[in-house]
Amino acid sequence: MGDISIEALTKKYDGLVALDDVSLTVGSGEIVGLIGPNGAGKSTLMKIVVGILRPTSGTVRVSGHDVVQEPEAAKTLVGYVPENPSLYTALTVNEFLRFVGKIRGVGDQELEKKTVESLRTFSLSDKADSLVGSLSKGMKQKVALIAATMHDPDVLILDEPLTALDPKTQAFVHGWISSQGRAGKTVLLSTHNLEIVQDYATRIVIIDKGSVVATGGLEGLRKLADASGDARLDEVFLKLTEDT
Amino acid sequence: MKQGLPTQPAAWRSMSVLMRYWLKGRLTRAALIWILFGESFAVVGIAFGSQTLLAFSSKFGVTQGFSEFALSLLLAFILVGLLQSGFSGSGLPVTAADVDYVFTAPVRPSEIFGAKVLINSLTTVLFSFPPMIFLYLRLALYYGTPLWSAVPAGLATLLFLVTGLVLSADVTLSLSSSIGPRVKVLRNILIVGVAAISILPVVLLIPGTPASLGPITQILPSGLTAAISIGLVNGGTWSFGLAADGALLLAWFAGSLLLGVRMSRGHFYEVLQVTDVGAQGSSEGGTGAQLQTTGRSVWSVIRDKEAVTMRRTKERRGLIVSSLFLSVFMIIYSLAGTFQSSPTSFLFILFLIGSFGSGNASGWLEKERLWIIKTSALDIRRYVREVYLARVTPLLLFLTPVTVVVGVPLFVEELGQPSAFAVLLALPSALEVAAVMMGGGVYFASRYGQSTADEILSSQAQQLTDVKRFLYQTVVNLVLVSPLMGLVLLEAQPLSFLLLSPALLAVVLLVGSVGYTYWLLRRLLNASGDWILRREDL
Repeated sequence: MGDISIEALTKKYDGLVALDDVSLTVGSGEIVGLIGPNGAGKSTLMKIVVGILRPTSGTVRVSGHDVVQEPEAAKTLVGYVPENPSLYTALTVNEFLRFVGKIRGVGDQELEKKTVESLRTFSLSDKADSLVGSLSKGMKQKVALIAATMHDPDVLILDEPLTALDPKTQAFVHGWISSQGRAGKTVLLSTHNLEIVQDYATRIVIIDKGSVVATGGLEGLRKLADASGDARLDEVFLKLTEDT
Repeated sequence: MKQGLPTQPAAWRSMSVLMRYWLKGRLTRAALIWILFGESFAVVGIAFGSQTLLAFSSKFGVTQGFSEFALSLLLAFILVGLLQSGFSGSGLPVTAADVDYVFTAPVRPSEIFGAKVLINSLTTVLFSFPPMIFLYLRLALYYGTPLWSAVPAGLATLLFLVTGLVLSADVTLSLSSSIGPRVKVLRNILIVGVAAISILPVVLLIPGTPASLGPITQILPSGLTAAISIGLVNGGTWSFGLAADGALLLAWFAGSLLLGVRMSRGHFYEVLQVTDVGAQGSSEGGTGAQLQTTGRSVWSVIRDKEAVTMRRTKERRGLIVSSLFLSVFMIIYSLAGTFQSSPTSFLFILFLIGSFGSGNASGWLEKERLWIIKTSALDIRRYVREVYLARVTPLLLFLTPVTVVVGVPLFVEELGQPSAFAVLLALPSALEVAAVMMGGGVYFASRYGQSTADEILSSQAQQLTDVKRFLYQTVVNLVLVSPLMGLVLLEAQPLSFLLLSPALLAVVLLVGSVGYTYWLLRRLLNASGDWILRREDL
């Protein structure tokens, strides 16, 4: 199983500090909820883990593989659902999934099996030959979820997977995240939906203005925020981020 | 590593998968139709351009040397343009989907570089081959050399284009922070040197400039290609000089490719410019020009908003560059003497200028953002008119000097002849045609422009709709401007029963054309506003 280890990670864009000396670990099989206000640095952190961005300093390791020194080895272990996934709209669903599987090194037979199974699980079998561009937002999100798991990764990086989805699709994605946890996947989940974090995350990391503000279970965060024992996560979150 | 875990595919395998699916995603039916259209337009343009060039050559008694000079200059512009696009991060164009799915896959950066360069080269060759061959066939016919010589000449030009693409990619890769500051200074000096040498042929036009400077351009791919291609279609034999030029051109290609492969070993994704920025939600361009609202009327703010937007999206820069090209082309056309032999051929130029404006305007549509206006108390018709004014003003500002530079000397030459008034009338008509066609562009965008939220049509069907719209728009725009063109024709060949002197007729026609333009524009823009209100998808 995979784990993520982030040490003293800093990312600067032309003088703007997006991440400032962030250290954090996500243990094997853990579901860690990454929450923070807009522009806190969550997406930047995730893009560094998946290899789109490069850190200015610090290290990120996936199962011991440094994402800068051994990017291909690290990427083999990671599945990624971007915030607002951009899919190849001129490919059919089938073609798109085969493309993603191929470039991730999945064998032909396994790819065939996986595509059929996944489309059935996500109730998209009848859309297999439809162009991705013609799908609804919810269907596209489902395709993005399938694409992230085509190579059966140990680690899942989910960046706002519930954004702009209708309640039915949200419920589906809830169930899917839960199933990934049960399957022993390591999940780093960024979201503004605190309910899902409260329900499924084994640990919560609050990030604001590029720095980790707090980390721990809900109970620990309540104590840190000096909140009552039955305080909801949103109350705790607001208390912990109000001064930063 | 767990049992059955996918392994990293071999380099050739990754590249072939990337290319196969990128091609599948790119070469849709609609894309192929666009390519065919583009090629047809390119062939027409080349036919017109080469005719002008050869007319110029005949008039001034220059043959091969001038063709080589002209081609060298044209290729130099292409080369400098490619290098410039390399600096803006577009040397290796990527989509948002590439970022999300290819950059996060276990594919080496150099494999992505290789696949991108290969696919860009392939599509460039596919698009450019027919127009290139047409150009060299035309030249071979003119020089009376065997037609087959057009093939190697075309291939040399295609090699130049591919080399230019690779060089552009190299420049983009060199933007990476892993390249040291000293190397970056060296790169900048090199690029400035290449740009300076590229446009050296222009300096040769200055009287008194030593002709010995000419061959200097032949150290660059543009000069080499011009020498090889023109040499071949002019019946040049396979001399040592030609072979050396060929070897040098190949060396440029191999060198730039090797350099690119070397630089693409490291992480370069952050320097690339995503082509479909909308999908990424990012924006481009500086914020130097600020939208001021204090103490200003709502309509002036709306006009200013449009102007600021055009500046930030680099649309205005595109206008300047395009009008510069148009100026050079029209000046050469004028120097070739075609206008003098047939003043009404100015009409073709009118349409060219008009198409320039129409193409620019048809891209306008604020799509979903129009809800801001539709839900306000603003008069939508007036809103469209103000937006149009903001967009047409810079266009006319750029086109006016072009028209004056070409038209006034013509008028002076024709002074005293009836055709002089036709030329005179053609000048404002050129700008009126541009304004009307731009109004037509706004109308078609308002009526048929696809909203990005519209998910009913598949992307391919949407592209096909765009093709049909483009054709429809071109035909209708032609019909709209034909009265203006007719007025110029009437002045060139006045009918005796009108009993008006050419000067008076010119004044009457000018007043008539301005009135027609005003009436037509008002109708078009009001109809555009009505369509925006009527459409439920905006």
